[in-house]
Amino acid sequence: MSSRTTETFAAGGHAHEHVSDPKAVKDQIEQDIYASVGKPGRLFWIALALSLGAVGIGAVCWAYQIYTGLGVAGITNPVGWGVYIVDFVFWVGIAHSGTLISAILFLFRAKFRSKFNRAAEAMTVFAVLTAGLFPLVHLGRVWFFYWLFPYPNQRLLWINFRSPLIWDVFAVSTYLTVSVVFWYIGLVPDISLARRLKQVKEGKIARVLYGIFSGGWSGSFKEWQHYGQLYKYMAALAAPLVLSVHSVVSWDFAMGVVYGWHTTIFAPYFVAGAIFSGCAMVLTLVIPMRKIYRLEKYISIDDLEKLAKLLMFTGLIVGYAYIIELALAVYSGNVYEYEQFMYRMGGDYAWAYWTMMICNIGTPLLLFFRKLRRSIAFLFAISIPVNIGMWFERFNIIIISLAKDFDPYAFGLYTPSLIELGITLGSFGWFFTYYLGFTRTLPVLSVTELKEEVEHGR
Amino acid sequence: MEYRFDNKKDFMEKLEALFKDGMRLKRMKIYMPHPEHDVEHLVEKYEKPSRLKFFTLVGGLTGCLTGFAFTTYTVFSWPLVTGGKPFISIPPFTVIAFELTILLGALFSFAGIMILARLPKISKMFAEEVHGNEYIIIIDDAR
Repeated sequence: MSSRTTETFAAGGHAHEHVSDPKAVKDQIEQDIYASVGKPGRLFWIALALSLGAVGIGAVCWAYQIYTGLGVAGITNPVGWGVYIVDFVFWVGIAHSGTLISAILFLFRAKFRSKFNRAAEAMTVFAVLTAGLFPLVHLGRVWFFYWLFPYPNQRLLWINFRSPLIWDVFAVSTYLTVSVVFWYIGLVPDISLARRLKQVKEGKIARVLYGIFSGGWSGSFKEWQHYGQLYKYMAALAAPLVLSVHSVVSWDFAMGVVYGWHTTIFAPYFVAGAIFSGCAMVLTLVIPMRKIYRLEKYISIDDLEKLAKLLMFTGLIVGYAYIIELALAVYSGNVYEYEQFMYRMGGDYAWAYWTMMICNIGTPLLLFFRKLRRSIAFLFAISIPVNIGMWFERFNIIIISLAKDFDPYAFGLYTPSLIELGITLGSFGWFFTYYLGFTRTLPVLSVTELKEEVEHGR
Repeated sequence: MEYRFDNKKDFMEKLEALFKDGMRLKRMKIYMPHPEHDVEHLVEKYEKPSRLKFFTLVGGLTGCLTGFAFTTYTVFSWPLVTGGKPFISIPPFTVIAFELTILLGALFSFAGIMILARLPKISKMFAEEVHGNEYIIIIDDAR
């Protein structure tokens, strides 16, 4: 196999450059992508140890909280929703770009999606798994979590379907299920290829697992025919789902009468923010992955630049929403709303507000410079402040709004306790543990889709 | 009889010739390394298209109906006014119905591929059969 043909494909022309030997290129793609599956190096073990260490800290903190009671968290009157809910919204938000990239960009036939979709979908699944922990962590008696499920209680009363918290249960669990199914469908053909990898020896448990999860996929025409249909419909179902899930999360707040929450722009504002943070997290994850697994041939700077443009675009929407929110507070003439925003900008938590403003409005503007947009180091560097800024956005919305309500007698401040911060750290460990496991057991790019592109040109 | 091709063009020419000769999917097996829309269009000139869409449709409708029916059932199962809202509160129930439309639409579609493509095939899970990156047509000579 001459590497020239592959390079033609990767660097590849926008035109339908005819690949001289498509089969050889496809074989090479398989070889390159599956190279990451198998025996991990030292860097992997260090990263895994750090992640698991963080999970350990989080687990100890949570165990302590369950044993002692919710009093060990900093939440109190009037700030009854603290860092746990901030983390919940943050992780649900991270989850959003995965389905955006896999479903919405699929429907729009945006070619660069095939470079990120597998990693982004994996990120989605793991981020929802992380987010799902926080409503549980936030419960004083976590063993009663099933009270949220729709079934009648001892007095035959059903749950209240008018409560946004119940919508949230439905939205997030639907999102988790659909993302897992969508991810798995894309993976099935790739898993069936993994069965015959050199690294996976006969009789090894890994081989058996790949066999089972492949479902006996053989690549017959019938299978591909239904697969094509299925993928299309799943994308069509998942696209409105993405928009709905973070809208529902935003209604957890917007349905309340608290000033700073009770706004009609919350749904689109949250969705844009979610995609913004999700794209940043994709950059955080994919850039090191591309380097470590030597995927430069497949994920080009052009592809990363497209993602950067998406980041910039959603960043602009987020910035617009921040300004509209302020403008409405001033223009509405509502004294509580006005005071709330003055308090955000100049009150006890002004540092958090301005951190958010600088990270989320300031940094994406730098992406207007083509040179910076095409610098991989810069893209990685910028993804971190965006993640931090988006965490603070949720902090501002949730905590500042609650700290200063209608009645001055009921004003109060909140400081996260060490337990809350420990659990937050644990959530990052939990997320990265899954992600690291994914990069070593499954192909990090969709081999099937890359092969398809060989035939169709890019 | 078995035909193997390295490239799509030759494969499609052969396939078209076979179909024109009256060969049908019932009597042959086609293997491809990845989905191919051109091949799908070709085959669908002679064969029925995938019926997966009915699974999606039925799933989506079931979800939507379940969402409204279930919420309505629960409010009348113990009528209790909450927040001064009408018993059947359409806007909030729409959220539940919407989520269930998507959920069941997706799950039914997934069940659809399992049923239509006869998956999972346990015998093939551990089979050594390797098709690689070739396009293969296998014709059943028995009949």
